[in-house]
Amino acid sequence: MTLERFSVRVKAGQRTVVSAANYGVFQDEVTFLFGESGIGKSMVSKAVYGLLDPDELSATVNDKPYTVYLDDAEVKEIKKNSFFVFQEPSSHLNSLLKISDQLNEGSLRLSKDEAAIMERLWQDADVAAIRRILDVFPKPYRPSGGEKQRVLLAMAFKKIDVLMRTTGAGGRSFFVFDEPTGSLDNRYRNLFLGLLFEKYAKRPFTVMIITHDYSIISELYANYRPLLPRIHLQELRRKEGAEVEVVDFSAQDYLSWLGEAPAGSSFGVSETPVLNFGARFTVFGRNLCLYKDPAHTKEADLEINKGEMVYVKAPSGVGKTTLAKVIMGLYPAQKFGMTLCGLRLTEKTPKKIWSAKIWGKKAGMVFQHADESLNLAASVKETFDGLPLSEKLTLGRLSQVLSELFDGKITQAFLAKKVAMLSGGQKQRLNLLRTIVLATDLLILDEPLNGLDFLSVKKVLSILDKKRSEGTAMLMISHNEEIFDHFVDKEHVYYLAEV
Amino acid sequence: MIKQLLLKKDLRWILIWLLGIIVAAVWNILFLNKPALRQVTAGFIDTFAIALLVVVFTLLLAWCVTLALHSFEMSKNKAPYLLLTFLLNLIRSIPQIVGILFGYVAVGVLIQTGAVRSHAVIFPLLAFCVSLFVFIEFVDLMRERIAHYQKLDFYNAMRVCGISEGRVINFDILWKNSRIHILNKLISVFGAAIFLQCSVDFIISVGLSTDVNAVTLPATMGSLLAKIDSKQDILSIGYALTHPEYIGSLFFEHLFGITVAFLIVFSLMSIYHIANGYAERHRL
Repeated sequence: MTLERFSVRVKAGQRTVVSAANYGVFQDEVTFLFGESGIGKSMVSKAVYGLLDPDELSATVNDKPYTVYLDDAEVKEIKKNSFFVFQEPSSHLNSLLKISDQLNEGSLRLSKDEAAIMERLWQDADVAAIRRILDVFPKPYRPSGGEKQRVLLAMAFKKIDVLMRTTGAGGRSFFVFDEPTGSLDNRYRNLFLGLLFEKYAKRPFTVMIITHDYSIISELYANYRPLLPRIHLQELRRKEGAEVEVVDFSAQDYLSWLGEAPAGSSFGVSETPVLNFGARFTVFGRNLCLYKDPAHTKEADLEINKGEMVYVKAPSGVGKTTLAKVIMGLYPAQKFGMTLCGLRLTEKTPKKIWSAKIWGKKAGMVFQHADESLNLAASVKETFDGLPLSEKLTLGRLSQVLSELFDGKITQAFLAKKVAMLSGGQKQRLNLLRTIVLATDLLILDEPLNGLDFLSVKKVLSILDKKRSEGTAMLMISHNEEIFDHFVDKEHVYYLAEV
Repeated sequence: MIKQLLLKKDLRWILIWLLGIIVAAVWNILFLNKPALRQVTAGFIDTFAIALLVVVFTLLLAWCVTLALHSFEMSKNKAPYLLLTFLLNLIRSIPQIVGILFGYVAVGVLIQTGAVRSHAVIFPLLAFCVSLFVFIEFVDLMRERIAHYQKLDFYNAMRVCGISEGRVINFDILWKNSRIHILNKLISVFGAAIFLQCSVDFIISVGLSTDVNAVTLPATMGSLLAKIDSKQDILSIGYALTHPEYIGSLFFEHLFGITVAFLIVFSLMSIYHIANGYAERHRL
């Protein structure tokens, strides 16, 4: 095992964006790098890979100016032999070039493995279906996010194939996968891991996988135990300001916590109904239905009583967020019926009823993308201004609310800080707190664990537990099935599907 | 500090503009005769005071109309929305210069009949005429900003938290997230107000087939430019082009017209650069 340490400092103008003293790369081994969104995982990895633009950002790697670092023979070799899968598939792909052409650009054309890779990543699709994806231009967004993500993974696997064919055992490599499963459900995630480890077993190469998906740990322990000595789990944590450090992440911490996660039924659940939403509804011309079983045979109304947490499952794109937005009166469903806290609402109910009687009073919702949901130009304090609270949120009370999810003393400087200056994880915590602070009967949470580190995940779930024990009904939407399968009682799981 | 200031194009051009005006003022104090100096000073102050009022009225009008349109659009009864949109389109269909010209004629008639006398009333009236034909662009900008944020989760995420529509629109969208765009547009409106005033005043001063004339309206840069003395001064620039030895005389013997022309052209050019620099600095 050869561990190479890098000290990386990136500055934009006078401001230090990130400074990591001990970013570690295990040569020819696999590293999973966890950490909250926006802390600098991608930036540091890009710096080490040699992808930063020295004209835009001033950076040093191992105290070398970035232009000098880029001239290093080893960095050039890494760039020649490796691939970087970017977090956002849409921005990685060239919209003016067919996907099939992009899969064969540069050295990628040397790989003879394309058909096999595509078949593995699109397991259920036939050759014609794969061909249809390859024959299009990425814009205007014809392939789905998941398909684009798999195209990028296919490129990386082709590059791995080229590496295996062209270099001997000594060639240096650094394959970076930045949130490679962000748009994939667990099935496709596992296909990706399967193919990666299959290739790795043939010829080891250096892999860095940046992810927030802690449930990947269970998959590693369940199916790749023999490879565990060559797999490293690390976490990037904030020290102070822009300074971050890499620490070892204990898989046992996660696995044992998961085993201890409390089930939903253990709280003082009452039979007071908060929400009853009819099983069948029509929105944007699509007929959707809720079921109580994964086989979609037991159709059931969505019922949430006081103090209950209900979890809605469905593959990506079926309409979980759409369901949440229909309940909140944000999407005009053509046909639906629901009773919320005794108030009967249908497709004919005017929108102003939601505005006057429901929003912030009977129900609140946390949207999945904190970046879009928060006013980035406002300060942390201003984020809580204008909320319909029963009593005024004094500075003392606000500090108390924030300290539930933010470490350290809540200072005036933090309260005055622009939301745009917070990291992705901090924004998500703020996004959650803005709704949690409301005294609503129903709380809808759309991907509440997005971008959070493990410590924050635990804290958020503990706060939600507390709210639930106080009687708040909750509707949970999350792709984080492993966590919520433990956290929510099986009786309270619903499956959404298109009819 | 000054170096930092000069690196920012908008701030650099504000300095250049102020410096240009100060140099022109000092030169005129030294070499222009007193009655002419008084006219130039009055014309300059009147023009810029009205332009500032135009900026204020445009902002107020646009903000109110934007809120009204938004509220009508959200309501189930679409009649007020259609009516207001029709009225705005009606104003939009009138060429700005023609609309302002008729507005000025109306103000001129009010002055002649003695209905209004004080500059404290005349200035706002003239400014209102200009802003009435300028504010619609501003409404478009504000509505675009609101529409942009309504498309994002931003708007709905705040509304479902129970934050009022008024706060989301006024504070979160227009104030917190659009004030840079708004300020940039206001700088352009300031420049447009000077240009439109000068154009209309010039037309009125040269002569309309009405009783309204430059005597009835406050002296502005446009009306000064239309004076026979100014015209002769400006024509002398052409003469100097073919007789270079005459150039020196321009800055002493033809100072009145040249100063007026300089203040108009130099101010418009400076405002153009300020607006551009501001947009570049804030990456608009």
